[in-house]
Amino acid sequence: MKEISRSIKKKDHDNKIEGRSVYVDDYPLTASGKRILCGKLIHAAYAKARVLSVTLPPLPEGYTYVDRNDVPGDNNVNIVLDDTPVFCRETVEYIGEPIGMLVGPEEAVVDELLAGVKVEYDQIEPMLDLRNGTEAFFDYHFGHGDVDRAFAEADKVYEEEFLTGYQDQTYLEPQGMMAEPEEDGRMFVHGSLQCPYYVHGAVARALGTGPEGVHILQDVTGGGFGGKEDFPSILGCQVAVAAHKTGQPVRCVYNRREDLEFTPKRHPSLCRYKLAVKDGRVTALEADVRFDAGAYSTLSAVVLQRGIIAAPGIYHIPNVRVTGKAIKTNTVPCGAYRGFGAPQTFFAIEMMMNHVAQDLGVDSITFKQQHFAKQGDMTSTQGRYHFPVPIPAMLDEVDALCALRRKHQAYSLPQTGRFRRGIGFSAIFHGAGFTGSGERDIIKATAKLRKYADGTVEVLASNGDIGQGVRTTFPKIVSHELNLPLEKVRYEHPDTARVPDSGPTVASRSLMTVGELLRRAAIRLRDIWQDGVEQEVEEHYKEPDFVIPFYLDRFEGDAYPTYAWSVSAVEVEVDTYTGRVQILGAYGSFDVGTPVDENIVLGQMEGGFLQGLGYASIEKMQYDEKGRIRNNSFTDYLVPTAMDVPKLIARLHVEEYPDGPYGAKGAGELPLVGPPPAYLEAVEMALGGMKRHRLNRIPYSAEDVILELNKEVP
Amino acid sequence: MVNGYKPGSLQEALDIRSRTDAIPYAGGTDLMVRNQKGAVYLFLNDIEALKQITDDGDMIRIGAAVTFTRALENDLVPPLMKEALSQIAAPAIRNAGTFGGNLGNASDKADSVLAALALDGRVRLASAGGERTVRIEDFFVKRGETILRDDELIVEVLLPKSRCSLPFYYQKLGGRNALAISRVAFAGVYDVQDGVIRSISVAVIGEGKFTRYREAEAALIGRTAEEVKENAAACADSFIRNMTFTRGRVSAEYRRTVVRNLLTDYLTSLG
Repeated sequence: MKEISRSIKKKDHDNKIEGRSVYVDDYPLTASGKRILCGKLIHAAYAKARVLSVTLPPLPEGYTYVDRNDVPGDNNVNIVLDDTPVFCRETVEYIGEPIGMLVGPEEAVVDELLAGVKVEYDQIEPMLDLRNGTEAFFDYHFGHGDVDRAFAEADKVYEEEFLTGYQDQTYLEPQGMMAEPEEDGRMFVHGSLQCPYYVHGAVARALGTGPEGVHILQDVTGGGFGGKEDFPSILGCQVAVAAHKTGQPVRCVYNRREDLEFTPKRHPSLCRYKLAVKDGRVTALEADVRFDAGAYSTLSAVVLQRGIIAAPGIYHIPNVRVTGKAIKTNTVPCGAYRGFGAPQTFFAIEMMMNHVAQDLGVDSITFKQQHFAKQGDMTSTQGRYHFPVPIPAMLDEVDALCALRRKHQAYSLPQTGRFRRGIGFSAIFHGAGFTGSGERDIIKATAKLRKYADGTVEVLASNGDIGQGVRTTFPKIVSHELNLPLEKVRYEHPDTARVPDSGPTVASRSLMTVGELLRRAAIRLRDIWQDGVEQEVEEHYKEPDFVIPFYLDRFEGDAYPTYAWSVSAVEVEVDTYTGRVQILGAYGSFDVGTPVDENIVLGQMEGGFLQGLGYASIEKMQYDEKGRIRNNSFTDYLVPTAMDVPKLIARLHVEEYPDGPYGAKGAGELPLVGPPPAYLEAVEMALGGMKRHRLNRIPYSAEDVILELNKEVP
Repeated sequence: MVNGYKPGSLQEALDIRSRTDAIPYAGGTDLMVRNQKGAVYLFLNDIEALKQITDDGDMIRIGAAVTFTRALENDLVPPLMKEALSQIAAPAIRNAGTFGGNLGNASDKADSVLAALALDGRVRLASAGGERTVRIEDFFVKRGETILRDDELIVEVLLPKSRCSLPFYYQKLGGRNALAISRVAFAGVYDVQDGVIRSISVAVIGEGKFTRYREAEAALIGRTAEEVKENAAACADSFIRNMTFTRGRVSAEYRRTVVRNLLTDYLTSLG
């Protein structure tokens, strides 16, 4: 283990454990002692409707209604495209879309007024169904080789459909933002968020001030998992408009029901996969990937890109054709959640490979192994796997942990009796960093170190700590290079008035990309270090030389400079009387490169694994025939509890990345992606395998097990 | 701000109950979630008389304000009841939740009520004017509705000792391993002597009500366990025929299948 990997106490540990961290909902007054107005949103009651009128109850003095007519700048929130409104336009496009905001000093009074608001609608037939949706926000096509010929020459062609559901991030702290007009005329917006500069751009545009007219601070944030990547830009604009109109600080914090029902989640997906097999090898893949984007495009472009790039999984398939569509539906806009499109397609390809192997009469582990990509192979986008692919060794490690290969064969034999067992495995990658050329062409990250006269050093970057530990690991890197005690290096919550734009807190790019900039900056600072004076060093992102430039219009080139890898295995016992699936063990080998803090990384692996298991089994969220999400409380949207944590063993396998700090790659998404197909393969095996039960969707609940068994021909 | 009464005795509580609309509040685990604006509560958790677990020779008597945790720690509480209690929610909820609350909340998914039903339990109700004791299945009308009158309070749950030490069968199915409402639960108590069934009970969660299947149960009495075991599927059917399952968080088909499986397993395991 490298010195840098040694675990240390997180910088925010004491404050969080002792309950001293101040979240956006905790401020009794603003820092300057001003009263904070409470803002609450009027949410649309129909999935698609023309808003004819909004009738307010008589508003007492000090209470204000805010809607799109109050937006001083542009009523379009800048995310990837600009189609999401700050407040609704003439029509509402999903249940929950914000129509306006009521603002005032007393929450109870605002609640009462809210109950008295009458909205008159002219309902329009909504489009809810992903399968039948025809309007695509994004429609991508790419591929390579001669797919048609490969299918024509195939011994056998397989076609199958795969479905995945919503998943909500269920961060501990719900969404919340606050805006404060400042003396100098600037608007100060802060709250629970991941990407200060995203919010900065959006608020400046909504207020029409230009970038210098606003600044954004990340408050202590109680988890994000992607859910606070785009949404704080929308809520940030809403509170900023309200603060602009009233001239007073305004805060809006979602309650859990609003948060579960109306904020972004993982895209439900429908994947149609077609594989050609010749001489026992997969020769071609045709993948038709549909993601349910919801009513506005928000982050769907980038989520879909990551999803379809992973369509062939980690397999080397010579002929590939991929279509990806983000379908507009009149449902809540979907956004980012750990994995960002990849869990859906990896689920599809992993299950597809299992099913093809079973049909060919080959153990799926062997079959997959015959197709593993290796260093130098072409990626789905005609880039290269530039570095070693350690999957075979990781598979051996997982095999050693749980006798994967032996059990995989043993449990594949016919089973009788009430309790039946299965074991499943998956092998996946996470493309490290931002997809495509975004890092080079769009983000252009800058990070700074400021050394003060007293010899302390401050990290200036825009990456938010959302539990992943960048407030600890950034200073750890800098103190390591400067040979300073950790206490002398600090990283405060970023405020765009003080820090350069080092890009968003997404895609596990913070440590790999910005961490490397800080490492280089620290080395330069060390070289010019002078005691007793203030010094500043700045570093800019430069794409590594080996990278094959990526062209988004053709999906050609290196979509990622390198990859993190994982092998997951899940062993289950199914109770055929009740459908209950007990997880006997969950095992993973994870290559995130060099861990910059071993405990943090292992915590990420275990937590992500559990989220993956929840996604695969109990986390069920659906909308009804009107388009309303019914599972809007923790009674109805079940996530794993401490009692649902199985025996879970996570091991690290280090394949260093030369352009990441000390060899580090991305860690965040990786552990969530692999467990769902491993889980479902295990359940399918316990039910008697594909010959009796072919499973193709998650979440797969105890009820699904029973209904599937009811189909069994005696 | 919460308004309410905090009586120190049952008599005082019944008196307040008879003249106000205050909502009886024992553990509050459901009322806190409901968080009804402007509600006035009648807090029962200071009344010692409602917090006792006693043995009167015929009955184990569990006070309405006894928490599940207290009951789990008490030697008088029968094993079936403890099995059910141990799977309710999570420790924090069990520390506050009570027998009276589980009944009074009128949920059709109340796990302690199911165990009491299988044990031939009764519930004693009192008002300023008098008292009555009714069977569990007669107390519960339907989801959200019981026979409790506006002037009455639940005083205690009575479990016949003759049932308390009999062998039992219990299984709860929630959506996960903790903090999960029963989607299906099954409780049964049986008495088999010399291979012959002397008594048997069947109770399930999944029908939207609490009921017993007296005819189907009676038809098994006097038959040998062996015979029932051999005809378990048909015997199970005699119960299932009389059951109507609700759909909600899960389908009626799921509930019916699981209850059939568990019933068959139960009838196979007698003796």
